Amino acid sequence: MKKRWITGILCIAIAAGMLGGCASGNSQETTGSQADSKAVEATEPGKQAETEGEESSLISEPVQMTLAFADGDENAKIAITEIANRFMKKYPNVSLLIVPSNGTAYNEFLKTKSGVGEFPEIVEMRDPAGYVRAGMLAPLPAEITSLLQTTAEFDGTVYTAALAAGDTRGIIYNKNYFEENKLEIPKNWDEFIALCEKIEDLGDMAPLAVGAADIWHMGYWFYKIYDDNVLSQDPDFIEHCYDGSADWTSPEVLKTFEQLKQTFTYAQNGWSSTPDAQMPTFLVNDMAAMLYSAPYMFASIESADPDFEMGWFPVADEEGTMRLVGGSVPGGWSISAEAAENPNKKTVGEEFIKFFFAPENYAIYCEALNAIPSTKITPEFNRTQVMDDVIEATKNADNLSVLWNNRVGKDELPPDFRNFTYKTLIEMCQGTKTVETASTEIAATWKTAMQSFNPITGVGIE
Amino acid sequence: MLEAVPLFRKAGIQMKSKKIKIDKVVLAFIGPAFLFYTIFIVLPTISSVYYSFTSWDGINPNIKFIGLANYKEIFTSVRFRNALKNTVILTVFISIFENAIALALALLVDSVKWGKRFFRSAFYIPVLLSGIVSGFIWKIIYNYNFGVINTLLENIGRAGWKQDWIGNPKLTLIMVGVVLVWKGSGYYMVIYLASLQSVSTDVMEASIVDGAGPFQRFKSITIPLISGAFTINFTLSLINGLKVFDQISVMTDGGPGFSTETIVYLLYKSGFNEGRQGYGTAIGIVLLFIIIFLNTVQQKFLKRRETQL
Repeated sequence: MKKRWITGILCIAIAAGMLGGCASGNSQETTGSQADSKAVEATEPGKQAETEGEESSLISEPVQMTLAFADGDENAKIAITEIANRFMKKYPNVSLLIVPSNGTAYNEFLKTKSGVGEFPEIVEMRDPAGYVRAGMLAPLPAEITSLLQTTAEFDGTVYTAALAAGDTRGIIYNKNYFEENKLEIPKNWDEFIALCEKIEDLGDMAPLAVGAADIWHMGYWFYKIYDDNVLSQDPDFIEHCYDGSADWTSPEVLKTFEQLKQTFTYAQNGWSSTPDAQMPTFLVNDMAAMLYSAPYMFASIESADPDFEMGWFPVADEEGTMRLVGGSVPGGWSISAEAAENPNKKTVGEEFIKFFFAPENYAIYCEALNAIPSTKITPEFNRTQVMDDVIEATKNADNLSVLWNNRVGKDELPPDFRNFTYKTLIEMCQGTKTVETASTEIAATWKTAMQSFNPITGVGIE
Repeated sequence: MLEAVPLFRKAGIQMKSKKIKIDKVVLAFIGPAFLFYTIFIVLPTISSVYYSFTSWDGINPNIKFIGLANYKEIFTSVRFRNALKNTVILTVFISIFENAIALALALLVDSVKWGKRFFRSAFYIPVLLSGIVSGFIWKIIYNYNFGVINTLLENIGRAGWKQDWIGNPKLTLIMVGVVLVWKGSGYYMVIYLASLQSVSTDVMEASIVDGAGPFQRFKSITIPLISGAFTINFTLSLINGLKVFDQISVMTDGGPGFSTETIVYLLYKSGFNEGRQGYGTAIGIVLLFIIIFLNTVQQKFLKRRETQL
């Protein structure tokens, strides 16, 4: 009898402990969400006291929705939180719970959330193709898509509203150093290489700052040279690789790799172990004269040294043709298909996206991130001279294209191909592989990847 | 008087004419752990076997069965072979150096007259750091332009010795290994130390009387008597070497290029980063068999050595 009592007490204690553990886990998660949602709500100036501008007619009953975005960039976090605050102020019966993605690895965060059945209801998508194929995103109505300059379609349907146009890349340079040494802005690729050579001869600093410890940073230079040499000859190169009429050992590809290797000889020592986040340090401390990057870097450089005289120019190809990154990207705001099944949530989700792109709100985002607006109506926001130069360059460019890994349809890359290519190219630029070996290995990997993913034959996308 | 108790009775299971009676107290104790182990280890392992035969991308609920295609790709993939090579190099490196340094530290701590506790704690401190934290610390130390090592070399007039410690593909894997050895040696030291302290002083004193020198005593008495610790430590460092992840993730992201990409890291990259959950799971299953095989071979070898000694 005594034994039974002890057994019973032990079982209850263990069960209570387990449940307690679960409960505390849940409560932590909820608190995390609530903390963030409270952070959103707390910054709402006078949500209860101030009712000016409130509109409660959007939905009949209070609605709470989860909102997730890549919060690795502090500026993005501040701007989107501010817009979410404004939205909740306008619609007091709507509560947006910001789900923190805690910085990096946003795609993994979304995958985990979808795996545990907590896919956010209003969500910034980076690589939407897989989620569209999985039926997890809801189509966006014309009243949202009509706000945007261009949209990315998946079989004729739009699922995302790009937060900004494709980040136009160019050279951010040390203006004072250029003036002191009478260095001129190059008009074509050969002049650019001559400029690098000249800076190297001066011996004061490295001509280029490169942060290839972040693998995606490789994409900056790769896409620029690939666009100039390969896409200029065959805009549908990837599609043709799928159907077998082009491949990764072609002369254009080899030329791309050669030029890339040459460019990296002008990078600072230790470029392969230097992260992208250290790039401003190299520029403002006179350790490198130029950096090829996107406009998001302007704010980081300014905060690293407000007195740094920054200049910007795009790099043309050998003939002087200006082929730049730009246009609409497939990523952007989406509404989950599950949320869209609830009419109230669908209404709130769509209204939030429209609200985000309203000029007075969108200006906050564009200014914080130096983003190139994706909307037809350009919002008014404070822009630096370099940002004006970027926008001007995109207007005058001979060609604007979306990054190779941002394309959908027949130009969509196999899932692991981009990273494999960048890693192989790092080895090539470090001299552990020749241009020919790199090209052969990439071609072989393409063939293997095509066996499990080919938009032409439909393999891997059914 | 000692009573011989059958093993199954000790475990709480009483056999009465082929009828098994399980003690409820025992069940109450092992039940929750068994349940947890089944839910979080056994079931995912079984489901992993299934997923390894699919092309699942980790998102799409429509999972397609593709037979042995993932395994075929693994065994023909240059990238997997490279990851296997890196894993073997790293495992061998850390198994040897972790144990050698741990043994040296244990002998040192065992022989010091004063400050024994201090040294034991000091050498153990790196073990307490998480893999992520130690990775971040060493990433800063190794930094080419701002790191302590290169700055020091520059300050002592040896700028020519500066290296891109985690950017040079010929060095990086070993540099990651150094961090693992630094972090892990203290743990193995404690095991060696416990074993050393159990070596009988009588035997040692007898050997001194017989005229054995320090090296002879170490070779012929200490080593055989702590051979059990060798078996445990080599087994643990082998398993830890095969599943290194944190430091690689933080310090090199598998790079530069593929120079530090290990099997576990390739598994993670394929499954989570590159949208190939099925392929990543198949790598996990292959790794499971590699660990079972290596561990069995190592156990047999070390046990044989233990018996011989």
